[in-house]
Amino acid sequence: MRILALETSCDDTCAAVVTGDGRIRSNVISSQGVHDRFGGVVPEIASRHHLELVNLVVQQALADADVTLEEIELVAATQGPGLVGALLVGLSTAKALAAARELPFAAVDHIQGHVAANFLVGPNGEPAFEPPFLCLIASGGHTLLAQVAEHGRFAVLGRTLDDAAGEAFDKGARMLGLGYPGGAALERLAAGGDPEAFSFPGSRAERSQGGGGTGRQAFANSLDFSFAGLKTALLYRLRELPEAQVREQAADFAASYQAAIVDSLMLRAEQALERTGQTRLAVGGGVAANGELRRRLRALKASVHVPPRELCTDNAAMIASAALQGRQLAYPAYLGLDAYATGEGSP
Amino acid sequence: MIVLGFDTATRATAVALMLDDREVLRARDDPGPAEHPGHATRLLAMADELLATAGIGWRGVERVAVGLGPGTFTGLRVGVATARGIAQSLAIELVGVSSSLALATAAARAPGERDAPDEGRVLAVIDARRGEVFAAAYRASGRRSVSELATPRAIAPDQLGSVIALAQEQGAGTGAWLAVGDGAVRYRPQLEAFGVTIPDDFSRLHLVDAGTVCELGMRERPVTAYEQILPDYRRRPDAELALESVAGRGAVAR
Ligand SMILES: [Zn+2]
Repeated sequence: MRILALETSCDDTCAAVVTGDGRIRSNVISSQGVHDRFGGVVPEIASRHHLELVNLVVQQALADADVTLEEIELVAATQGPGLVGALLVGLSTAKALAAARELPFAAVDHIQGHVAANFLVGPNGEPAFEPPFLCLIASGGHTLLAQVAEHGRFAVLGRTLDDAAGEAFDKGARMLGLGYPGGAALERLAAGGDPEAFSFPGSRAERSQGGGGTGRQAFANSLDFSFAGLKTALLYRLRELPEAQVREQAADFAASYQAAIVDSLMLRAEQALERTGQTRLAVGGGVAANGELRRRLRALKASVHVPPRELCTDNAAMIASAALQGRQLAYPAYLGLDAYATGEGSP
Repeated sequence: MIVLGFDTATRATAVALMLDDREVLRARDDPGPAEHPGHATRLLAMADELLATAGIGWRGVERVAVGLGPGTFTGLRVGVATARGIAQSLAIELVGVSSSLALATAAARAPGERDAPDEGRVLAVIDARRGEVFAAAYRASGRRSVSELATPRAIAPDQLGSVIALAQEQGAGTGAWLAVGDGAVRYRPQLEAFGVTIPDDFSRLHLVDAGTVCELGMRERPVTAYEQILPDYRRRPDAELALESVAGRGAVAR
């Protein structure tokens, strides 16, 4: 079985060829890199770029895998959640590629894709991470904890109520004058700072002083995340201190801010492991590349799996992996499929 | 040559299949005011139905012709992505056709119609949302084709005079104009103020005909790379314009 998959839910134009045993034959990711000057992904611009790139990316994925369309037996694409205009470029292209050859088609939920990244054989032959496990997904677009019972099935235990963790990194970085997207720059700056210099919502330091994230009991008892208060707290702190001190303590700000995000993620992961009795944790999303989070994950008393970076960030190999386990529609049952912006789980 | 053509520039989804004997099969979806456009959900299904009616499979299609707009961005992208996907899948020819030109061509040759245009002067007026239209001017040149006198541009309906003036500079003459398209229907009073004739709201002349897209697509030279086919946006993304206006103000302040 050879699967061709497309992913265009945000600003990366992706195509991949994966075989039925979870081996990646090609995994092409074209990052648009055109949104930085706008300080965030602009949906209309992302959609235009996807359309410019999509056929070339497909062609590259086939060439890298050394296969032709004749050898593809299943086509898959992300159906949602994401930017609808962006999703429609990949979904329309994939449906048309499949329809003209009357191939079966799989519409994949993007979150299921992140989960399924763990089922792929690693680029250096690393074995797949098999369910059951808990899955923490943290990126610029989503932050959630899922319980993965089996390949094709997962239940969301908690999710962010406002900003995504990666978004919090980028917004904090912008406030600290590190540009956009500045998550990686913030991490570099934080390396030389004191993570306990400032107490931000969500951090361990803040919780030890009786805080509790948003402070609401329901939230405290849930496995949900919240990063909006953190962002606001940083803004106020930066405003109330003299400019010279902010400059002098920039690294401390970065380290404390990063610690609050990582603490929030770790707290929920630990609570979820405890509540479910699971001993295995998989991590996905762009934030999984964060060194501080990785360091803290290693200290967990659980078997932790973090796929290689190119499988953590948005990619089409994970969509192909999810397609293998999910529902495959025969021609012409999929011709009328539309993209969706929010929610998870195919109907 | 068997040509599959479609257009998604307006709220409608129009599909046609032109067969070897030039017979044309058509299917279309015209959503009501409260309904969503069927670009993503109806386009491929209608193409499948036409192929079944004609008794040919996808592999019988030799060329794909797609309406490039101008029109709604998301609709155009669904049409172009679908066209490119089919062409790439079958390794067949791909051409793009102006949706405005398709509108004008069909209107200019409506023989014996009550609304037949005076000396073939046609304005193609496509709804551009936000109170604007994409307006273009054409004149019949021969029995089967029209030539473009004013290229499509996004204007407020009460600026139609500028398009007519431009067309007159290009030798349109001073005779009457026929205006067609969903923009002409929507902004009828504003456009009629310029003395143009607009067919009644339910005239088929207001609809982009995919059969005409097939026919115009027959005359085009196929692209050598599928990604060369892109929507005719005629409007830059808002975010770019906003950024420039901020930069512009900054420059003045300095
Ligand atoms: Zn993602």
